[in-house]
Amino acid sequence: MFPRKPTNLILFALCFCIVFTSFSPLALAQKKTAPVEATPPPIREEFKFGEVDMEVLEQADLLDTRFERDGLVLRDEPVNAYLKRVGQSLIPRDLELERVTWKFRALRDPQPNAFALPNGSIYVTTGLMTLIENESQLAAIIAHELTHVMRRHTYMHNRSNRKKFLTMNVMAAVGAYAPGGIVGAVITVVTTVAPFIMVATIYGYSRDLEREADLKGIDMMISAEYAPEEMVNVMKLLNTDIEGENIRLFYNDHPSLEERIKYLSGYLGARADKVTHQMELNRERAAYFGTVEPLMRHNLQLSINAGRGRSAVFHAQRLVDFHADSENLFWLAEAYRTLGPRAPQLTEKEMTNSGKKKAAEKSLKRTAEEEERDLLATPGGKENWQKHQQLAEELYRRALSAENPAPVAHRGLGMLYEKLGRTSDAAAEYEKYLELSPAANDRGRIQKRVEALKEKVQ
Amino acid sequence: MNPRSLVLKMQRAMFALVVLLTVSGLHQVHAQFIHPKIKSKETTIRRVVVLPAKVNVVRDSMKGPEGMAAESDELSLRVEAMVAEVLSKKKNVVTLPKPAAPAEGDAQQNYNVADFQTKFDDLLPKIMKKRSDVKKARFSMGDEVLNLNLDKNADAIIFIRGAGKKLTGGKTAFRLFVGGMPAFLSLQIGIVDARNGEVLVYTDPILVGDPTTAVDRLRKALEKGFKKIPEVKL
Repeated sequence: MFPRKPTNLILFALCFCIVFTSFSPLALAQKKTAPVEATPPPIREEFKFGEVDMEVLEQADLLDTRFERDGLVLRDEPVNAYLKRVGQSLIPRDLELERVTWKFRALRDPQPNAFALPNGSIYVTTGLMTLIENESQLAAIIAHELTHVMRRHTYMHNRSNRKKFLTMNVMAAVGAYAPGGIVGAVITVVTTVAPFIMVATIYGYSRDLEREADLKGIDMMISAEYAPEEMVNVMKLLNTDIEGENIRLFYNDHPSLEERIKYLSGYLGARADKVTHQMELNRERAAYFGTVEPLMRHNLQLSINAGRGRSAVFHAQRLVDFHADSENLFWLAEAYRTLGPRAPQLTEKEMTNSGKKKAAEKSLKRTAEEEERDLLATPGGKENWQKHQQLAEELYRRALSAENPAPVAHRGLGMLYEKLGRTSDAAAEYEKYLELSPAANDRGRIQKRVEALKEKVQ
Repeated sequence: MNPRSLVLKMQRAMFALVVLLTVSGLHQVHAQFIHPKIKSKETTIRRVVVLPAKVNVVRDSMKGPEGMAAESDELSLRVEAMVAEVLSKKKNVVTLPKPAAPAEGDAQQNYNVADFQTKFDDLLPKIMKKRSDVKKARFSMGDEVLNLNLDKNADAIIFIRGAGKKLTGGKTAFRLFVGGMPAFLSLQIGIVDARNGEVLVYTDPILVGDPTTAVDRLRKALEKGFKKIPEVKL
């Protein structure tokens, strides 16, 4: 049946056009499963800056300033210089991009992540730099982010989103004034469904851009003579999900890690004919750990602050395996103390998507102290706590008996004993710490603890 | 009762509900939760340190949300100053200087403040999930608060978070004809004991209106938000 009134006809035609244009990108996005062979050129030559793009650029510059001002950027010159060296080696020589100034910086965040701003600022979190194992993997991450900048993905995504939001708003207006009868019912149904399709296309486009960045990243790694298979290994590392926080939602702006591993492996098979020798990678690993060891320790503190005990134990153990000095032993002890009654690894059930969702909901309802208290009321929690406190104590002692003992291990022991109710021992350890570190930043806090413990003893 | 009059009655009831919701939406909404120590006057908030506010506003246009980083920074400073002003004028609370800005090369002090702000960000969703539990003394940021090395006379530290939306002309007209969220500013303010990290006060004032220009409404919302905090006797 067709509408007879002219107004109805216009509305019907408008809805048809909008729905048609909405369906097409979705269908295209679904067909594009693995663009294995041809990837686009490294830069988008035809890109011309518009007013909207300039606004995005301005926001990006301000975001850079904010990260710096808010203490989120790691002020570690050797690390930032290292990031710059790896980043610059990936950028094609003589490449000049309009309104791009390359900056490579580490962001103080224990969650593994990296992102690029359209002005050329590339940020890799300390959490991701601690998770990866060698320079080639770092190059894989940076190459992916460089592609986002070089192919002007942020601008393209913003332009596309603006069109889609406008369409959604027009649809909402049409839906609000739909006439009665069958035509009205059709319009209502179409305008109700269309926003969901629009949102799906927004996420679909975002996933396409991510896929492009992954594949171009491999090309850039090959050009810079980095082991390209390490791009796949980075995805595998991210997929380990130590804290169980990678929850799959209904809409996702990145392809799933399993999907990325699959299409990257396929693309790699078609592009690279040699695989890097394991010995070469081991050498690279040792050099990488040597360079970023201080950053890894810094990240351990951030992980402990954020209550990411499982990640802290995993990373501290790797550091101890690499270099069992006093400070690394101290960090492993701290990680076990933070882990407390929690199990060091999540169970299979906890690693399912529904298990992760449940855990996320629970963590919103309980504070860290309440979680510990609840776990200590269970036999498993008690057993874990006993095991972890013994391990922590042993490691603190080893840290103190090692060459160049870290005085901060006395503070750790004090905290451990205080939790165990060994009041006098705790006070004694705290006092040793204060004696050995007269200029410690947390002097006031520890002094207060000593006073409180002494009061308790009396 | 015949079906026609029943439908009419239901329509009237719906209309009344819509009017009620619209009218209530135009006023500032505020909720505040006070720690028992404040209620019993065991602890008094006399001197506070206001940490840098983090307020983000976006411009909502027909083509979607657009960032307003510069305006957000400006608004953060304004909210911060107004919190201090309202507490001083209405409650006689003195605002002490913030932790000193770090000297070039002194990253640690910068990190300390940043880490403590992050700690509040981690705790905030838990507080918001059950705000009334502030009254049960359930939330604390721990004695790490002492690592901030603030003025020794400080009783409390104030954390301010906020999110808001400003509508463009097109979106305002669209809202009139089609409906949708008005321009607003929603704040979450936590006052934490400077000695042991306990959350003493939580308040979340909301104001309806352009967040970048509604100065008087912001002041009123804050005054209402801090209403339950006892006044310091001079």
